[in-house]
Amino acid sequence: MRRYDVSLAPSVVAGLMFAVMLGVYPMVAWAGQPEALSRELLDRYCVTCHNQRLQTGGLSLDGLDLSQVGTNAPVLEKVVHKLRSGQMPPAGRPRPAPEVVDTFATSLERALDRVAEMNPNPGRVSSRRLNRVEYVNVIEDLLGLEIDGEELLPSDMAGFGFDNNADVLSITPGLMARYIAAATKISRAVVGSPDTRPVMQLYEVGFERRDVRAGEDLPFATHGGIAVRHHFPLDGEYVFAIRLKRNDTIETIDGIAENEHQIEIRIDHALIQRFPIGGMFPGPDPGMLIAVPEDDVEGQRLHEYRMTADHALELRVPIEAGTRLLSVAFTDSAPSPHPSGQLPGIDKVFISGPFNGTVPDDTPTRRRIFTCRPSDQQEQTEEACARDIVTTLARRAYRRPVTTNDVESLLGIYREGRSERDFEFGIERMLEALLSMPQFLMRVERQPVDTRAGDIYRLSDLELATRLSFFLWRSIPDDELLELAERNELSDPETLTTQVRRMLADRRSTRFMDDFVGQWLQVRNLFSQDPDGALFAGFNDSLRKAMIRETEMFFRSQVRQDRPIQDLLRADYTFLNEQLARHYGVEDLYGSHFRRYTWDDDRRHGLLGHASLLTVTSYANRTSVVLRGLWVLEALLGAPPPPPPPNVPPLPESDRRQPTSLRERMEQHRSSPVCASCHTRMDPLGFAMEHFDAIGRWRESDGGAEIDATITLDGATIDSPRAFREALLASGDEYARTVTEKLMTYALGRGVDFYDAPIIRRIVRGLEADDFRWSSLVLGVVMSEPFLLRHAPVEDVLVAAQP
Amino acid sequence: MFLTKMHLPRRTVLRGLGASLALPLLDSMVPALTAQTRTAAAPITRFGVFYVPNGMSMPYWYPKTEGALDQLPPTLRSLQGFKDKVLICGGLDDESANLVKGGGDHARSAGTFLTCVPYKMTNGADVSNAVSVDQIAARELEKETQIASLELGIESNAMVGNCDGGASCAYTNTIAWRTPTTPLPIENDPRAVFERLFGTSGSTDPVARLARMRRDRSILDLVNEELRGLERVVGPGDQVKLDEYVEAVRDIERRIAMAEEQNTRELPVVDQPVGVPSDYAEHAKLMMDLLALAYQTDLTRISTFMLAREVSGRAYPEIGVPDSHHPLSHHQDETAKLERLHKINEYHFQQFAYLVEKLDSLPEGDGSMLDSTLFLYGTGISDSNTHFHDDLPVALVGGKNAGLRGGHYVRYAQDTPLANLHVTILEKLGVPVEAFGDSTGPLNRLTDV
Repeated sequence: MRRYDVSLAPSVVAGLMFAVMLGVYPMVAWAGQPEALSRELLDRYCVTCHNQRLQTGGLSLDGLDLSQVGTNAPVLEKVVHKLRSGQMPPAGRPRPAPEVVDTFATSLERALDRVAEMNPNPGRVSSRRLNRVEYVNVIEDLLGLEIDGEELLPSDMAGFGFDNNADVLSITPGLMARYIAAATKISRAVVGSPDTRPVMQLYEVGFERRDVRAGEDLPFATHGGIAVRHHFPLDGEYVFAIRLKRNDTIETIDGIAENEHQIEIRIDHALIQRFPIGGMFPGPDPGMLIAVPEDDVEGQRLHEYRMTADHALELRVPIEAGTRLLSVAFTDSAPSPHPSGQLPGIDKVFISGPFNGTVPDDTPTRRRIFTCRPSDQQEQTEEACARDIVTTLARRAYRRPVTTNDVESLLGIYREGRSERDFEFGIERMLEALLSMPQFLMRVERQPVDTRAGDIYRLSDLELATRLSFFLWRSIPDDELLELAERNELSDPETLTTQVRRMLADRRSTRFMDDFVGQWLQVRNLFSQDPDGALFAGFNDSLRKAMIRETEMFFRSQVRQDRPIQDLLRADYTFLNEQLARHYGVEDLYGSHFRRYTWDDDRRHGLLGHASLLTVTSYANRTSVVLRGLWVLEALLGAPPPPPPPNVPPLPESDRRQPTSLRERMEQHRSSPVCASCHTRMDPLGFAMEHFDAIGRWRESDGGAEIDATITLDGATIDSPRAFREALLASGDEYARTVTEKLMTYALGRGVDFYDAPIIRRIVRGLEADDFRWSSLVLGVVMSEPFLLRHAPVEDVLVAAQP
Repeated sequence: MFLTKMHLPRRTVLRGLGASLALPLLDSMVPALTAQTRTAAAPITRFGVFYVPNGMSMPYWYPKTEGALDQLPPTLRSLQGFKDKVLICGGLDDESANLVKGGGDHARSAGTFLTCVPYKMTNGADVSNAVSVDQIAARELEKETQIASLELGIESNAMVGNCDGGASCAYTNTIAWRTPTTPLPIENDPRAVFERLFGTSGSTDPVARLARMRRDRSILDLVNEELRGLERVVGPGDQVKLDEYVEAVRDIERRIAMAEEQNTRELPVVDQPVGVPSDYAEHAKLMMDLLALAYQTDLTRISTFMLAREVSGRAYPEIGVPDSHHPLSHHQDETAKLERLHKINEYHFQQFAYLVEKLDSLPEGDGSMLDSTLFLYGTGISDSNTHFHDDLPVALVGGKNAGLRGGHYVRYAQDTPLANLHVTILEKLGVPVEAFGDSTGPLNRLTDV
């Protein structure tokens, strides 16, 4: 049994009270005594399967005591969810009229909400480590250093759809070794350590468009190539080497047979070198298929040139330390592909160095950490300065005021470094230690003294600041947040509201927006998606990136303009660059940069017209109504079906000689009752999107068969993307509930459980009063008990959470 | 850095089950550094495979006659001075390569060389093969070392995409398979190999390494202190997370202790390499040096090395062969082309010979490190003009402590599976298996005992 400490209850009440004051969630006061819940619906429609004998789905409702709402909340919330999302009773079984369902579900919800109000349970988020994205952001915000997270740390696993899930973010020995190695490399790079070894860094271009400027960071009038931000740790010499694209099997260099081409290297936009390449040995290569004959000396020279010409694309130049923009691109005009051969392309760029490096006087990262410089080399002078540096850094890194112990421990490491070498080495060592500390790597929330099992307590203002900044910025709090928290002013509802709005307006919030939308809508999975090149010749890496970019920019604009959450599905505009526009059949839009574009017709309004999610929900060679239907249920309606039973064979591939529509083949799903229970929900939702092919292009036919995307949903005929969107939005509060649930999962870093359901319902009711705007959703989550409070574990904390 | 044994507590797994777990569960739950040792002391403690692509210029590979050899054949002549350590095995077939459904004879040869089962033909992510012979050994021998195995190479380490006639690059670009669905990518960057072996010390200089370890240790001491402080202020649920941290730190401390013990061995001082040298021989030599260092420090005992990826089209103008390797391997039985192909074959073997000589010069026990090391050198195609997977050119090198019959050329009856050689190698390593791939039993005549 749960037990609450009465003495702590007022803080909970206060938590709810300020929500009321703000009008964020109008509390619905249920008048009078609760009406008794009627078993009628359960007895008539549910217990045929869900009884103690059959236990279908592990659930029996026949012995359920409806007067014990609190005790039975886990089961009752499940019942509410299944009824509200229309999953139960299943298709083919007798179903009550919608009004009957609504009345019963509403009475259940009221009863559950009332119990939750009397016995609130904010749940509990475990301590967790920073995930990789957070680590990268924190290093940038703390030290001003951009790092390549993928090179330093392994990727994170996800829980409940998000990779910031606290339960999954544990420290393992392998990971700890990586953290320590990362700390060493980062502290060397930041200080500009003379220990910095020359290393070779590889940048791969991937797919390259040679006919256009490859990105906003590349100079005008260039074609193809790559632009990267590279950190040069020391003043010194660096070697740049360019390798060109090669034929896959013969490995000769592409496109250097006929004409000379120009490649230029720029650093921070300044021209460093221009290389000519190609045209030295025109003519066919006699070594393409078989070896060049022994006596063909000319042919051998030609072949050798084709194999090795790019070895000449190397240069060594002195560069001052700092993070700089490197661009490598072609400057010769690229005519439409020459009939006799392709154009050359840049495949890889290597940067090696530093050679003959010296410690720089001044770099942005050094300015950031050296908050003071010792005026002389006296031990005391230097230590005073070190203390200043440690105090400033540790406060931000630990996200709280530092204690004497914090400073003294780190100064101990500083002293080791100083006595081993000098002041700067001491600082480097101190930084290395700081980045290995649990206070830095872990987000630990403290338990107030004398807390008893089952108690509910408020997070401290400092802990709140950390939760907020990791939610909305994916990083550490800034000075303003920290100062407010240190003065215990942050939890003041008005201050909190102001801060949330400020944080959303700050550019750092794009990290949250991109990260959240990429995982919620699963568009991030596009990186591991490989549409069949034979069927979808237009698909390539830059189109892939453009697709993701579209969704990110669209989502950012929706949140920044504080649109209603429903506009995600309805908005009449998007963001396109030339490549993506052509993909969608939009003319007259040129260049690599993205801009806002308003649609002429309403086929692609909202997210459901985005190629990113249409591709990510397809197979490599065809669309999948199942995957798309599943996606809609999971991402938009929050009611995913259970995974398929084992040993079910996939659908046979379509017979090329005898075109059958996908729809005909999917009919097989209906013929088996095992399949039908879920597929009758999934498949129609997918069929409604069939006009979009496996990479999101509009189509009228598939494999010779005309597309029929008309479906029937809850008795209504749906025959257009618009009708489909509106049907999804009309499905009660399910869409709003799902968005809230996803955001809550992400904000907290834990899966939502039955005890969160009343809170989510309250947030959704609050949204209705405020036009469902994004800011009120974010505020609703931030002002909710799970975000502000914490529940001390009751007994056995090792028990796995309810699924 | 030591990812192969990532430790994931069961509870975390259970709680995270709402998520789709991409990692094979069982593998990630193997506790790190289980302190066990093999029961039997085997005569051979190290095993390395060296693979070359595009078959062999066969007239230069096989000796004229079976039995004891005065001269090693031309391809292998760089080891003439060590001929008593070289055993050439003739007549072995990789029938499993013929059973792969679908084209890509080069993928077949590398893809089955160490697994001896027909893999699943695909160029998607659904690759499926069998655990390779080196990894069967690694699973046993890793218990005594810090790193289970090293997969090294000179060329591409891509694991995805279509590399040969519709076969995934996983089948052409590596020969090591940790599990049937986990190909191990080769590492071709000497700097990455160095860091994997020696962390961020930047040098093998014992002074530098000791200094690095001492610094790590003082930071870890501090981390431990801070963890004790934190444990006092968190609730019981969070205790578990901190315990994991403590355990992780303890594990690294154990590794440092192991490394400190090994640090007393004399090592040549090698600085951390910058990256990938553009010269082939320089690159290969650097990788051989690193492999020797890994053996010397006993960081690992198992390795595979691809001197080039299968179906490689690299040219070797530095030895007078400007031709792409793969087209040249279709030599149409022309003498001049066979000779040029031989030049590449010999060049590859020379890189390997460098490592053999090096290990032979390093004393261990009563003999040299080479004596307790067994190398398998070869490829999965014999005559490259026809792409046959029979009568494969393979040789064993080293292995004196197991009584390897060096200085001989032994031919086996037609249809003797290559897998029989693998079975025998595992036996010499003290990791006996009843059967492997399409094996029919062990091979005789490999040793004098």
